[in-house]
Formats: sequence, structure tokens, C-alpha cells
Amino acid sequence: MTGAVQYAVDLRMPGMLVARALRSHLPHARVLSIDTTRAREVPGAVILTRDDLAGTRSRFGPVFKDQPVVAIDKVRFVGDLVAVVAAEDLDSADEAISLIEVEYEALPAVFDPREALLPSAPILHDPADFVDGSGTADTIQPGVEGFEGFPDGNLCCSAHFESGDTAKGFAGADRIFEDTYSCDPIQHAHLEPHAALAYWEGPGSLVIHCSTQDPWVVRSELAYIFKVEPSAVRVIVPSVGGGYGGKLYPRIEPVVAALARKARRPVQWVLTREEVFMTLTRHGASVRLKTGVTRDGRLIARQVEVVYDGGAYAEISPRVVVQNAPVAAGPYRIPHVSVDCHAVYTNKPPAGAFRGFGVPQIVWAYESQMDDMAHALGVDPVELRRKNLYQEGDAYLTGERLDGVGVEQCLSAVAAAIPPIARSGVREGQPRQRLVRGRGLACSIKSTMTPSNSVASVRLDPDGSLQVLASGVEIGQGYTTILAQVAADALGVSLERVRVLKPDTDVTPFDHGTKSSRLTFTVGEAVRRATIDIRGQLLDMAADKLEVARDDLVIEHDQIRVRGTNVVLGIPDAFKARFGLPVGNLYGDAVVQTTGGLAHGTYRGKDSAFWMWSAAAVEVEVDTQTGKWRLVRIASAVDVGRAINPVQCHLQNEGAATMGIGAALMEGLVHDGGQPLNSSFVSYPVPSMEDVPQDFQSVLVEAPHPDGPYGAKGVGESGLLAVAPAIGNALADALPGVRLRNLPMRPADVFAALSGAATQPGEAPR
Amino acid sequence: MITITTQVNGVPRQLSVRPNQLLLEVLRDDLNLRGAVEGCGVGVCGSCTVLLDRKPISSCLMLAANVDGREITTIEGLGSGETLDPVQQAFLDHQAFQCGYCTPGMIMAVKGLLYRNPRATVDEIADYLSGNVCRCGTYLEVMRAARAVIAAQVETTG
Repeated sequence: MTGAVQYAVDLRMPGMLVARALRSHLPHARVLSIDTTRAREVPGAVILTRDDLAGTRSRFGPVFKDQPVVAIDKVRFVGDLVAVVAAEDLDSADEAISLIEVEYEALPAVFDPREALLPSAPILHDPADFVDGSGTADTIQPGVEGFEGFPDGNLCCSAHFESGDTAKGFAGADRIFEDTYSCDPIQHAHLEPHAALAYWEGPGSLVIHCSTQDPWVVRSELAYIFKVEPSAVRVIVPSVGGGYGGKLYPRIEPVVAALARKARRPVQWVLTREEVFMTLTRHGASVRLKTGVTRDGRLIARQVEVVYDGGAYAEISPRVVVQNAPVAAGPYRIPHVSVDCHAVYTNKPPAGAFRGFGVPQIVWAYESQMDDMAHALGVDPVELRRKNLYQEGDAYLTGERLDGVGVEQCLSAVAAAIPPIARSGVREGQPRQRLVRGRGLACSIKSTMTPSNSVASVRLDPDGSLQVLASGVEIGQGYTTILAQVAADALGVSLERVRVLKPDTDVTPFDHGTKSSRLTFTVGEAVRRATIDIRGQLLDMAADKLEVARDDLVIEHDQIRVRGTNVVLGIPDAFKARFGLPVGNLYGDAVVQTTGGLAHGTYRGKDSAFWMWSAAAVEVEVDTQTGKWRLVRIASAVDVGRAINPVQCHLQNEGAATMGIGAALMEGLVHDGGQPLNSSFVSYPVPSMEDVPQDFQSVLVEAPHPDGPYGAKGVGESGLLAVAPAIGNALADALPGVRLRNLPMRPADVFAALSGAATQPGEAPR
Repeated sequence: MITITTQVNGVPRQLSVRPNQLLLEVLRDDLNLRGAVEGCGVGVCGSCTVLLDRKPISSCLMLAANVDGREITTIEGLGSGETLDPVQQAFLDHQAFQCGYCTPGMIMAVKGLLYRNPRATVDEIADYLSGNVCRCGTYLEVMRAARAVIAAQVETTG
């Protein structure tokens, strides 16, 4: 607002060096030699290559330790790190980089995940390199139900889920629909690039300030890499300029720490935009979807195969496949379901967490098909969905009871907000008008990472101010405001009395990360319980002083009052009564651990601590001569359980939906022979104010969850999930016979579809 | 090195800059004005927007040497003391920010809009601000803030 907020890019330290990287220009190659002789002559240059990894574990990753700190034997994508240089200024660092000589032996490369699984494909990894230390940073480990364990060739990881008997289900279906849908990889494009500033306080003690969503996971990974105690690593998180998943798990932190270790000075590294594009992506995916339906529109069998393009390193793909295997069936009661999710290594930038965590690619498939089925069956798309949607208290595929099911309310809200286009007469066979409109909608389900753990510590000072210590990260989602509201409400003090500390692993307690829309549900609940603990302590002190029963006391307006009287005691006076002076603190702590997991072999259990439900509807206008289309209106409804802060809920909903618009309209990373072709905001535009319609209805549905604070559940991702298929369905509605099955749907793609043979809904022969 | 004379936030400055040094680097590194930030480095995201003679520019593309004799306003130059500029206040009132990284640039772009077109319509606002990306997607709120400032201004000036 005033420019005073400090991001990691703004940090400066006396004696600090700045860094630049040398990256591979080949998609797959053996690194034969790295000659730094001439680069070392640049004054002040400190160069880190594979030769400087002695004494470290050299490879990291949240599940599989397959990512080298810098390239060791091979490079696996264009942009893979080969060397980094720290110097007094960027010009010197650039000069040193230009003087490093690398000899490569180019290897055959593979870019398409399905091709990568062929026997002839070049293999990226030898799992023997990274068997050590698996599973230090995430809950997914070999042995988790449905998870196949270690990579097999380029098959990075797989998960299988089933419920019922699909063979039987399909045999009983009246109609069977089968199609393949796909999504290009996209990029988070957080405006603040990855940035970190590291220094060592002696040989065994590391401090790192970094733009991360995941301070505790970064801490454990750095401790693992550098073979130090986790408590010897201090991760401090300043304000973060956007994350959307791109700053989960370690990114540049290991290499910055290694460089600072070698330089014996503080080192800051801020990536360029081009580098950010090469650092992490949202999985490209192809989804084969087969659905059996009865004549009256009940879904009875569904078979899903999802192939995620994992890129060069596993990253968090193992949890993407495991977490999404059940929800790939969608928000519908389907008795017979079988899902296979795979992530495949390819010679492209690694794919990882991205708002929606692999679900939007699947919703794109099943909600596109839903409209095709409705069309083929001659039923209303809303009614077809309604007939099959989960209801409150239903048993989920895993056997667990579904609590807080707001999906039908979401669907009804958006369907009412954007009604179907009124049309008269027959459209088939009529000449097309230049500008046509269509309406489409979609709905979705997503689970949250379960189990997970959050700890909060709340401190009451004698002046009545409340400090909230927790390690969630404010990335713009309003986390600090929501925690402050929860704490203020739980104690009975005004919001201004509450301060939420920024994460600092030396000070703030454990948290499993700012991911999976989990902070309000877990950290929020931990803060609520911790504050109630303090409230009890404070009331005890006041009850002693006022000689009344604790139950007769209430806290309101920053003071303690005897119920029904005018007798009040200020918080400082309560401290004085206990300690003689207004000194000391009261502490409250709470640990919230969500539990879950599916039983081996049966796929039964508790899959998710809470469920995210959402729906979107849009009206589009298409220029049939150019393929250019625009959103006329959009409605996005998300089930928030309980809106603790409605303003922030709307911002999350609108922001997530805007990302969905980007994925539908314009975003897609283009590679040619592994070379990235659009690593810039010029060639990779993201939505601007002109791409988002002013007629935008954000709807908050409240189906409370028994375990969330005040019934609240997560909302960070919900608004993204259904937007792209709603747009696809609107385009199909506007253009009879046209169905786009790949994201994005750029005007050129729409034009091509209009010009080419009209694609028919894929109904399999029976 | 080149010596330039400029006004930054109303303060006359004589600065010694490298021929290839960008205005954004001078502001951030030499003058400690870190509200403007680099987002894309190619002048299309708007995060580095400052006013040059009351016109918004991408300071990541402007050579510092080219601002000789001209007037720069950054986010730090808005408001006075404890009082926020009306645009800053409107962004606060309408919760027109999420992560905040684009906010200084967005606010400076709105300032530029007010100088150029003090009665801008919704379409004109969207067009003018289309060079400022908010990846968090806070566009509806930014629009509300901009419209509120314009409405208030029209009311005062008639």
C-alpha cells in the first residue's frame, strides 16, 4: 500500500553476495566436464558446481530424493541447474557464468508422457541414486495405500483406487461414453519470483530468509541435505508475493544455502522471470474417461486413467496421484469406480503443486463429458448433475460419511445466476451468426491433504495484547486476518489487540505447510483451542481476584466482567492480581492433527479431513469468423463451510476463478524439442483486468463442517476447479457440434475447431 | 558513470548512474525505494510502475540516464505523513489487494489514469489498467477502488 512491505527480494545484508545460475540448454545430456578456471578469475566470484557437494546428501525432494542441488551426472531439462555463482554484483556474477565451460554428451530425450512409457524411451533416472532418506518431508511414503512405491523406468509413480465392480457396472449401463481430454502445462506466475537469502552462523547453523509457503518442510529438507540437526536450520519467511503452490517444498533454498556455505557470506538469489518459468509447472495431463449411464441418467460406472506429465523430477507428484485417485470419479454417487493415476518423468521442467493440485485437469474431463452425456441423453445438464450429486451424510467411495456437502447448493446458485440462453427455433442447419452466445456450467469435488498437523501457540501479554505464533504463511489469502479474528473472538478481545507473527522456525511452531486450502481448518482450529486455553487461565485468575465462580465471568471489550453485573476487571489487573505487577505471560498451545488414510487392499477409510465443493457457470460470446471469444458473465460458488471473513472468501473465490479463466483462455507452456518457447509474460500472457468480466457473481455457500473452526473449511482452491469446463461447455453450447478437449482453448483453437470437422461426443460402440 | 539531475518524490536529486543502469535499479538499490518491484523485466506486468512526469512507465525498461531533468513519483511519494493518498485509501477501503506485490504499481497506474482521464468509464479503466497484472486476481476490487476515487473526485470538482 505504501511500499513498505518487505518481501524476500527486498532484503539486504552487510557483506551480502548476489547470485546467478548457469542452466542447461539441452533437454537431456550427460555432464562430462565443468571447467571453472576462467570464471574463477572474476574478482569475488564464488562458484558452486557438483564438485562442491561433498559432505552433503546432494539430492532432495519431498518424496523421492531425485533432485540434485546442482547437476551431478546429467541434466534432464532445458533449465536444469548446472552451476551457480555468487558475486558482489550481478554483472560480475553474469561475467563468471559466461566463462564457465561445460562439456555435455547429448542424450535422446522424451517429452510426451505416453511416449516416455514406451520400452524404447530414454530413461531419465536411476532410482538407485536416490533411495536414501525417502519421505522426510511429506506424508506420502512407499507403503501408503494404492501407492506403487518407487519409480519404474520413467513411470514416476502410480496410484490405483477402486470401489465396486466396473465390469459389472458397465454391463448394466444403457449408454457408455468414452473420451480423452487433456491440458497443457501452465505456470504459477506468482509476480514475486523465487527468492532466498541464506547465511551460516558457524559451520553447523544455517539461517535462511525465503519466499516459501512451506517453512517447516524447507527446514527438514535443508537439515537432511546438509546433515545437520533440524533445529540448526532457521527458516524465516517475510511477506510472500504470491505462491499458488509454486513455493511449496524446497525450490532454490538448497542451492542458495550451499552457495552461502561455500562463500562464507550471506548470499541472496532472486530468479529472473524466465527462470521462474523453468522452475515449476502445473502438470500437463491427459485423462481417459469412460462412463456408463442408465437411460434415466444415473451414472453407474466410471473408469478413469489420468496420466500426469511430471517433468524431470518427482517433486510432489506422488501425492498428486495418491490424493486424486478417489476424487477423479467426481462429485457424483457412482457405485462402480476404477481409477488409475500415473505421473511420468519427461525432459521438461518439473511439475508440482499448483492451486487445485492436479484436480482441475480431471474436472475438465468429467465435466466436459457430463455435458456431452446430457446432450446425448436429451436431458438438462443441471438436472443430470443434480440426479447424481452427493448429498449431506452420503457414504463416500471410501465408506466415510460426507459431512458438509454444499455442492448442490453451489450448482443451483450458479445455474440461477446465469440462466440458459433463450433460443427459438432449430439451430441445426441454420447459417451461423457472426457473434453467438453460449452458457455452460460445471461443478467439482476436491479433498485436502490428510493427515496433516498444525500447532499454534498463543501468548497473552499483561497489557491485554495477544500474540499468535503459528507457521502458516500469508501469501495474500488473508491468513493473518482470519487467525486474528479467530483469536480475538475466542478470547473476547478486539481485533486490534491481536498480532499474528510471521513464520520463523526458531520461534513459531510446526505447520505442515500453506497448501491444500488447509490453514483456516487446521491452524485456525489450533489457534481457537489455544486461545480458549488462555481464556480459561485468565478467567481463573480473575475468579480468584473477584471471588466468584469462573462460570460467572465473561470477557468482552478487552475486560473481564461478572455476568449480569457492572463488576469488571481489566486484563492488566488480572495479571497484577496474580503476579503482583502487570508482568508475566499466559501461554496457550494446541496441536491439531487431522487423521485419515485408506486401508490396504480395501480402499476404505477416511480420505479427507474436509471436502471442497464448488460450481461455476459462465456465458461466453464467440466470434464465429475468428474464434475469438470472451466471457460475458461468470458466477462462481464455493462451499466455505462458514465464512469467517466473507471479504477474504470472495477474494479467494474470485482470484481462483480468474486463474481458471487464464487456464481456459490463454495459458499453456509451449516446448519445442524441450526448448521452452514462451518463458515470458509477453509470450505467456496471464489474465488482465480486461479478461475478467465485471459481471462476476461470487457466491459463498455455507455447509458447515463439524471439525472446522465455527464450521469453516478451506476455500483457497475451490473457485478454480470448475471454471475451465464451464467455459468449455459454454463454447459447446454456443457452437453446436464443436467440443474442444484440450486446454487452453485459445481463439486459434476455437477457429480450428470451427473450420475442421465438427467433433462428435464420443460414444463408444456397444 | 553519468550524472543526472532529477526530482524523486518532490526531492531534487543529483545521481551518478551507470549507462546501462535501469531506473528500477536506481530506485531500489541507490535510493532504497523498494515499493516498485520487478515482476517480468520486460515491461508488461506493471509491478515496477512509477510516474515519470505524471505518466505511468515501466521502470524496468527505462534507463536511469533518460530521466535526467524529469520528475519521478513512486509509491513512497504518495500521501503525506500519516495520511494516505486517496487512491491508497480506496485500495484499503475496498480490499483491493491480496499478496500486495502488484499493489504499488497498480496504485501508481491508477494515479496516472486520474491525471490523464479523471472521468474514466469502467471500460476505460479496464483498458488503462490492463497493463498491470494481479495474479491473485483482485481485479473487481481494484475496479471498485478506482471507480470510488473517480466518483469522489468528480463530486468535489463537479
